[in-house]
Order: sequence, then C-alpha cells, then structure tokens
Amino acid sequence: MRHLIFSCFGWCALTVLGFAQAPPPAPGQGGTGGTAGNYQSTTAEGGADRLFNVNSDSVDLENGTMQWKGATMNLGNSRSVRARFERYLAAPTDNGDMKRYIAILDQIQLLLSPQSLNKENYIRNQKEAFNLLFKAAEFEFDGNGCLTIANQVAKAWRMNTEYQNIEVSLNQFEALRKTQQSVIINRADIMEAANDARTATAGKAGALTKGSSGSTELGYLAKDEARTQAQMLAQGTRLTAVGIKAKLEFQSQMVAFLMARHYRHALINSAFYRVVFNASNQEVVVGAKEVKEFFPVSDFVPTLESIDLLSREAIKDVGKGMQTVDDLLKQEELYGAFERLQETFFLGEFEPPVMLYPQEKKRQMLTLWKDLRELQRLGDERDLASVEAYVNKVRGQARDFPSAPVLSKVNNAMNASNMSLLSAKAAALAGDTAKAETALERATKIWPQNPGVKEFANQVVSRQDTLAQKIPEFDRLMAEAKWREIFNKKLEYALALAQDKERSEKLRKVVQRVGELDANIQKASMLAAQNNPYLAWDVIVEIYKTESDDLVLAKTRSDIAPLVAGYAQLIGRAEKLEKEGAEAAALAAWLSAQDLNPASPTCGAAVKRLARAVAESAVIRSEGAVPTPPAADDIPAPPTK
Amino acid sequence: MSKINPLFFALGIPVVVIVILVAIVVPRMGGGGRFADLTPFSVETYRRDWATLQGNSYRLECQVEQQLAFVEGRGRVLAVKPISKDPVGRIPVFIPAGSADSFEVGQRFKCKLRVTRDLLVVEALERF
Repeated sequence: MRHLIFSCFGWCALTVLGFAQAPPPAPGQGGTGGTAGNYQSTTAEGGADRLFNVNSDSVDLENGTMQWKGATMNLGNSRSVRARFERYLAAPTDNGDMKRYIAILDQIQLLLSPQSLNKENYIRNQKEAFNLLFKAAEFEFDGNGCLTIANQVAKAWRMNTEYQNIEVSLNQFEALRKTQQSVIINRADIMEAANDARTATAGKAGALTKGSSGSTELGYLAKDEARTQAQMLAQGTRLTAVGIKAKLEFQSQMVAFLMARHYRHALINSAFYRVVFNASNQEVVVGAKEVKEFFPVSDFVPTLESIDLLSREAIKDVGKGMQTVDDLLKQEELYGAFERLQETFFLGEFEPPVMLYPQEKKRQMLTLWKDLRELQRLGDERDLASVEAYVNKVRGQARDFPSAPVLSKVNNAMNASNMSLLSAKAAALAGDTAKAETALERATKIWPQNPGVKEFANQVVSRQDTLAQKIPEFDRLMAEAKWREIFNKKLEYALALAQDKERSEKLRKVVQRVGELDANIQKASMLAAQNNPYLAWDVIVEIYKTESDDLVLAKTRSDIAPLVAGYAQLIGRAEKLEKEGAEAAALAAWLSAQDLNPASPTCGAAVKRLARAVAESAVIRSEGAVPTPPAADDIPAPPTK
Repeated sequence: MSKINPLFFALGIPVVVIVILVAIVVPRMGGGGRFADLTPFSVETYRRDWATLQGNSYRLECQVEQQLAFVEGRGRVLAVKPISKDPVGRIPVFIPAGSADSFEVGQRFKCKLRVTRDLLVVEALERF
C-alpha cells in the first residue's frame, strides 16, 4: 500500500511546481505504478517531459485536486495549493508538545475502543473521552478539530435526549388514546342498552318516545381519539427524523475530516459514532460514494471500518514518507527529498511528522523550491537561453536534479525554432509572405526570445524603410548594366524586391549571370595557377566577349595577359582580321595560335569555322576587292630572290 | 689501225657520269626546278601584312600537315608547314577544285602561290 501511494504521488513533484497544464486524468485512473519498492518515482526521470509537455498527473493544479488510490481529493485552487506549500516551507515549525497531543488522541481512541468499553464504564468512558477532546483542542496544531468533534458529540447527545422525550410523549399519547378508546366503548355500550330498553317499552305502550340519546357525545369522543392517533403518528415521524439526522450529521463530519486529510480526527469521530449510536447502523450513508472510490471493488459497502482503514493507511504513509525525506537528505539527494516532501505534504499536511519537520531543512527546501519555480517560469515563458543557466544553478544545490533531459529538450526546442526561422527567411526571400508568417509564428512560439527572430524582424523593418530607395537604385544599376554591383548587394535587393516579381526575376538573372562569370573567372585562375595560361586565356577571351565591363574579369585578364603575350596578340590579331573580312589571314593567325596552344578548343573551333568559310568563298574572294588596303608607307619592298 | 688507249676509258666514263649528275642535282640544290624563277614566299611578311603581297606569285616548298576543309566544286584548304631553316609554323593554302592531285599528310611539294586578297592560292605544284 505504501509503495502504491508513493507511486501515485510520483507525479506530484514538478506538477506542484506549476508544470502541470493539462486537464486532470479520468476518474479511476490510478497512479501509474512501476516504481513499487523504489521511492525514486518516475517523476525525476520524466522531469524534462513535464517541463514542456505535461499531459497527466495525479495532482491537477488547475483544479486543485489530488488523486490518491484512484480517488480525487480537493486541495483548493492551484494558487492556494502553491501558497500553502510555500507557506509551510517558510513558516517556523509549530511549537508544542506533540507527543502529549498524540497521547491524548490515542487515549480518546482507547477509551472508546471495544476492548475498553463495558456496561459499567460505557457512559463514563464517553464523558472522559469527551472531556479529553477539549484538552486536545488546546494544542495549536489541532486546529480546533477536536472541538468540532466535541460539538458534534454534544449535539448527538442532545438529539438523543430529544429522542427520549419524544418517546415519552409517544407513550403518554398512547395511554391517552387507550383511555379515550375505553370511554368511547363504555358510552357506546350504554347507548345500546338504553336503546334496547326503549324498544321493548314502546312495543307494549304503543306511544311515541325519543329514539336515541348520547350519540353526539360519542361523536366528539371518537374525534378526540382520532386526534390523539394523529399526534402519535406525528411524534413517531419526528422520532425517526431525529435519529436519522443525528447519524447523518455525524457521518458527514467524519467523511469531511477524511477528505480534508485530518485522519486522526476522522478516527476519533468514527470511534465516537460507534458508542454514541451504540453500533446500531455502521454503514456509511453520507459520503459513501467518495469512500467507495478508494476501494475499486464492485458491490463494496462503505462502513466505519473503511474510513478507519483509509485514515490509518494515510497516517502510516505520511510517517514513512517523512522518514524517506530524511534518508534522502542524508544522502545529499535534495531534489528527491524535495519531491518526497511535497508528496507527503499534500497527503498529510496536518499530520504531526509533517508539521514538526525541522525549520532549517524546510529552509533548504524553500531555496530549491524558489529556484525550481523560477526554472518553471522560464520554461513557461520559453526563455530557453536562461533555462540552461538556471538548470546549472539548481544542479549546484541538488546534484540529483535530472538536468540532462531538460537541457536536451531545450536544445531541441532551440534547433526547432532556428529551423523555422530559416524557413521563414527562405519564404520571405521567395516572396511567400503567408508561409514566412507561419514559419515565423512557429519559431516565435517555440522560442519567443530567439535572437534570430529579433534580427529577422529588424531586417523586415529595415526592408520596409529601404524599400523606397532600393528599387530606384536597382533600376539605375540595371540600366547601366552594372551587374557586379547588383550582385554584391543581392541579399539587400532580394529582401527589398521580394514582393516585386518582375524585378525579382531580373535580379535572379543577374545573380545567375554574375555567378557563371565568377565560376569562369575562377576556372581561368585555376588553369593559370596550374601552369596552363593559354587555356586560361581561352576562358578569359570567351567570357570577355559578353562581360567586358566586369572589373573582376578585367583584373584577372590583366593578371594572365603577361603570361600569354604572344598568344593573346595572335588571337587579337586573328579576331581583328576576321572582323575586317580577311578570313584567310585570320585563319593563318589562328593556326599560329593553335601551334602555341594545340589543346585550345577556341583555336580549334575558329580554325574549323574559318577554313570552311575560306573554302566556300575562295572563288568569290579571288574576284573581290581588298578590304583594308594598307598605307603606301607600310608596303614593304618586294622580297628579293 | 690505231688502238684507243684504255686509260681513256678508265678516266672518261667516270667523268661523264659526274657531269651528268651535276647537271641534274645542282639545279635542284640551288632552289631551281620548275618554279625557280619565282621569289620564295615570306611567311613572316604575309602574317605581318598580307596586303603588301596580294596579286603576287611566289614559290613555296612545304609539307602537308592537315586538310582543314574541302568543298565540292570549290576546292580544299590545307594547313602546310613551309620547309625552311627556321620553323615558321603552319599557314593555310587553298587548292582550287581543278587540281587532280591528291594530298596526304606528310607529302612535300613545291608550288606556285598566288596571293589573292589574303588568300594563298596554289596555282601549280610539283611533288618532290
């Protein structure tokens, strides 16, 4: 039983810290055992889960209820529950002679127990126990519970007197009714005799006489008798009501003590009930449903013994729980001790071992409690960055605190938030505002204080501010074909033009164009570095045809040009000749260049192309005019033989 | 009857053979031959400024390196390497379609080149 109780309360610890946010478990759902024989319940191992996702618990702080043995106890609302536990930790330990108080309570139970009672001391023991109630009530930690019992007993006694008075009245009414009944019979007999005599006389004389006399009196007498019967019936009903009322009130108080976790008072109340009502009916009528819930047995009949059993079990569990708290504390397992103390407190906060727990130890627990509350607050607010620091602080106090799962959850949450933020950025860049908003909302929900969210928000705000100036700037650079400048500010333009599909498309093409250009420049640089300047120059020449304004390309070109001066000159000359229409001379120049760089695809292609062109146009060319006649001064003297 | 001195035969026959050989070889070694009257073609001048050579005819001794293009009814463009003391690289020459000659890579020939605009047209050739 003890193990089951601790298993049930394994959920309590962090839930009391406010981690519980889920609706209470279904009725009848008991503790999820599995820790029988081990006071380290699954609470510690599952602490991280409860920090961020609590789906069930045996203590529901939202409703202020606690489940014990499958039944629900009302602890009050969550704030008052927390406040009560915190007040308990902070309050000084109650003073007083607890041993003497417990001895008085034990003495009361002993006086009322079946082994002490007999015919001679039946009344005396009751009165003695009754008087002891007032002595017990003088102790502060009794909370005047014994006074309540005394009032209840006194009330029951008064009801008993009233009951007896009603019985006396009932007996008196019965005597009166019998007298009335005999008078009526007597009067009726007299009337019948008078009537018989009158009938006989009338037959002889034949004169008219009075037919009957005394019937009116007889009617009144009968009416009086009926009234007496009615009064008896009323008294009988009152008698029954008084008896039932006394029992029900007593039972109500008994169950109230049990549900309020005043177990010792419940036991004393039960003992008084037995003797006051002389064991007439020991079945519990009031609160039978609540008591039944503690015993999941069909057709279970709640009795006084059921309440006694529950109370004694609870008292025993509280004692064992506090012993466990001390043991764990000795082993410097503060977190485990704290959890066990919470469980025990909510099970039996009015039990002497809980109330007398040393203040210095409670102070130690209070410090941990405050840190755990702060950790819980940080968790509730999703301040993940601060959670780690607080986890370390808590671990400094309680070495058994399960920090690894907490930190793991924190890291997972951080990563999830960052991933959502990346998704939001990507969607924003793609111009998908709805998706960006959803992703950003998700990132913020997981980790509201994610610095990336703030940065992203700043970017968005900045984007709004710069939107007006970025668009004209982009248009101007596009008009001036300054691809490189656009490329260098591509992220800024991407943000600014996210909503402008036409410009975004232009930007995409520019980025692609400069990207390809950079790839070719990189390729040329690599070839030059590998001592293959001619092929590098080929690459440069090819891209230079379309990107002659690019500064990076110009610089690379000037870097490589000295390495291939002759080759470059030949290609330049070839291109110039071709432009002038001197295809055969251009072909000769390309052939010379190819001699220098046989592997050049550019030279190969040019040679092939020009050779074909020369072959096709040879006849026409032979009849055409000279495209660019050289100056007379440049004409060399004919070569001599 | 007078008898011919055998010494005459012993000296005379070698002399005759030598004369014949000289008559055949010397003209070849001296750059003569079929196009001996033409000026040798200057590749350097052509590359530097082809316009100065246009309309002229030159003699070129070269080796076939590659056929660059062939157009039916028009002719073919060959890449040839001039045979000279200093290597000057390849140049393109055009063989008109009328030529019945075949050209293989590595073949050597002498030819008469005519510079038509910038095009080197082979007007006649001789293998050697």
